[in-house]
Amino acid sequence: MAYEIVMPQLSASMEEGKLISWKVHPGDSVKTGDVIAEVESDKAVMDVQSFKDGVVKELKAEEGQSVPVGTVIAVLETGNGKSGEEKGEKEEPKRAPNIPKSASKEKEPVPKSAKSSKSVVDELFSSAEPAKEPKAPQKHEPAETAEVEEKRSSIRPVTSGEASPKARALAARYGVDIEALQKAGELPLPAHEEDIKEWYLRRYFTPKALKLIKLYALDIGVFDRSEKIGEEDVKEYVIKNHIPLPKPLSSMKKAIISTVTEASKKPVYHIFDSIDSALLKRYETKELTYTVWLLKLFAEAMMEHEEFRTTLKEDSLFVWPDASISLAMAEGEDLYAMVFKDLNKKGVEEISSMLEEMKKKISSKRIEPDDMTGSTFGLSNLGMTGIERFDAMINRQDSAIAAVGSEIEGKIAVTLTVDHRVVNGYQAALFMRTLKNIAVDERFFERAKKGGD
Amino acid sequence: MLYREALNRAIDETMQMDPDVVVLGEDVGLYGGTYRVTEGLVAKYGERRLIDTPIAELSIVGNAVGMAMGGLRPVAEIMTANFSLLAFDQIINHMSKLHYMSAGKITLPMVVRFPQGVSRQLAAQHSESYEQMLCAVPGLTVLAASDVNYAYHALKKAILMDDPVIFIEHELLYNKKGEVDFDKQLDPFKARVVKEGEDITIISYLKMVDEVMASVQKIEENLNKSCEVIDLCSLNPIDFETIAKSIEKTGRVVMVEEDHRTGGYGSQVVSRICEDLFFNLDAPPLRIAGEDVPIPYNRTLEQLSIPTPDKIVEQITKWGRENGL
Repeated sequence: MAYEIVMPQLSASMEEGKLISWKVHPGDSVKTGDVIAEVESDKAVMDVQSFKDGVVKELKAEEGQSVPVGTVIAVLETGNGKSGEEKGEKEEPKRAPNIPKSASKEKEPVPKSAKSSKSVVDELFSSAEPAKEPKAPQKHEPAETAEVEEKRSSIRPVTSGEASPKARALAARYGVDIEALQKAGELPLPAHEEDIKEWYLRRYFTPKALKLIKLYALDIGVFDRSEKIGEEDVKEYVIKNHIPLPKPLSSMKKAIISTVTEASKKPVYHIFDSIDSALLKRYETKELTYTVWLLKLFAEAMMEHEEFRTTLKEDSLFVWPDASISLAMAEGEDLYAMVFKDLNKKGVEEISSMLEEMKKKISSKRIEPDDMTGSTFGLSNLGMTGIERFDAMINRQDSAIAAVGSEIEGKIAVTLTVDHRVVNGYQAALFMRTLKNIAVDERFFERAKKGGD
Repeated sequence: MLYREALNRAIDETMQMDPDVVVLGEDVGLYGGTYRVTEGLVAKYGERRLIDTPIAELSIVGNAVGMAMGGLRPVAEIMTANFSLLAFDQIINHMSKLHYMSAGKITLPMVVRFPQGVSRQLAAQHSESYEQMLCAVPGLTVLAASDVNYAYHALKKAILMDDPVIFIEHELLYNKKGEVDFDKQLDPFKARVVKEGEDITIISYLKMVDEVMASVQKIEENLNKSCEVIDLCSLNPIDFETIAKSIEKTGRVVMVEEDHRTGGYGSQVVSRICEDLFFNLDAPPLRIAGEDVPIPYNRTLEQLSIPTPDKIVEQITKWGRENGL
């Protein structure tokens, strides 16, 4: 049976090879793994081995001749088939050992310093198990393939080249031919563990795929590495297996979680009522929004009810001299409880510019700890969203919070959530009454426009 | 608490615990020890248990061997390691071997304390380190105390142990401050991970641990990598498990010692690392050690002869850059 030996692809970029010398002559018998020729690729001179036992029937190329990859260069008579058959087995153009074709598509050079990708590489690699070598399709000889491959590797150790012991150990385990890759310029010299890991991952995964795998914290072991895995493959896997996107908590998010968890431990009760909106509506301007007026309104009421300027700490209550309110302000996913201090001393113009200032701080993320401490009472206004009524959770150190809904038929719903340890129901009811009175007191609005007290 | 106070407390407590514990050495009694380690003990336990000896090291260790054979628990102090050379016959031929030669009939529950290392301008005959020789003697346990907590716990255990122990101290560490955790027992044979890290394992012991710790931040900045620092504590037997665990993680190792490079104790450590952990190494091991010269008297030259934080930073940075970091 005739067996054709073709010009092998010895490096990713090799298109043709120059036959340097024949190591056999017609009539010679060869064994699997015997070197039959030396071939020069675009990178280096390498040996061509036989993958079959047999007798050399014909040499089809001259020494010194350049032959395209995949062209038959020699024919062996293997003797164990039907001798009459002209069209024998043809060896498929083999890839260079361990250099998959797909690697050649990737033109980006191996980065020298893998600092940025290091953690990704490390994390991903920890779950990498050696993939089976992608094999060129071999139609007729499935049983022999493994044996041949094994013999090959024993003939030419795959872990030569200049590399650290750790890199070599890894290369041997994963079947990476360091020397060939260094000759091909795909691994630095000397090669370190990191280089092997990175090369290995790049070989089976596109950078975009790796990024996605990292994002979804997937185990790379789940992918069949018989061919290169791209972004689409990962997306497909994610959808098919209903994998949720992990969303690590930001420090702000963590803070909010801890605040509301703390808040839920407070023994609270609610008071439901509403205030008249006629004057608010009349005095509202572009700058002097409902929120600005509400801050001033609540501050005014707080000055008459010291329980709402009181905080509880360990075994003592502390009554604060001024009215400072924490206002719930949302930006995207984040929620901030910005503290507006000493509102009793400030006019609405000033409060309006404080509000602008706080908005700027939030959007530029330049919030100082002082901007979020020092309040005794909270305000959450969702009126602009059209919501009718809701209740809010008390901010950190505060003793109560007012949840303000939207304006309906001249009324604005106000829900007070109150910490019973600090303020009792009767006191809260009186506070509510004061609030309602101020809301209909024109003198308050005029005074507030002029400035603080 | 100071390092010397921790040692004092360890001796004090064991003397309190066991009336067989005796201390002998030059100036350990009335004078309270050259480095004040035995300060106040003679008043407490008397001259029969704190024995001021003549300046004769061979007799100090020889007597201690005899006392241990007779059933006491002697703690002998050598004033400085260089002088111990006179006692090496007793240490190597007797202290380390009698248990073996007597087929286990004789036990030697004794400790020899060794202040050693480069101090301040004590010159070549008072500045040496001998752990490399001591660790080469089968039968000796060699402990090296670099920190206050270890000094207290390890010396106490060494005194109460039935095997002969060489307890190495560094002359510049006696006034080192630190906390002792009296409640938590400590295994004196276990190496101490002083700082955890991911990329480089730096192994050291005695005073060099402090020098390494003083260099680490700079190294990490220079290389943008993190260092794990290991204090060996027990030089023989060595806690290779802790070393292996670290190197399996980092793949890179630096050995820092004060002793002369040639034949230094670190060469043994690195040799074993290469033998046992070869395929875990991602870079050639780096040794930072003292120069192969007698320790000079001149302060500038003295400092040039041993590793200092500046040199450690420079050498590890250079090595790291050459080896893929």
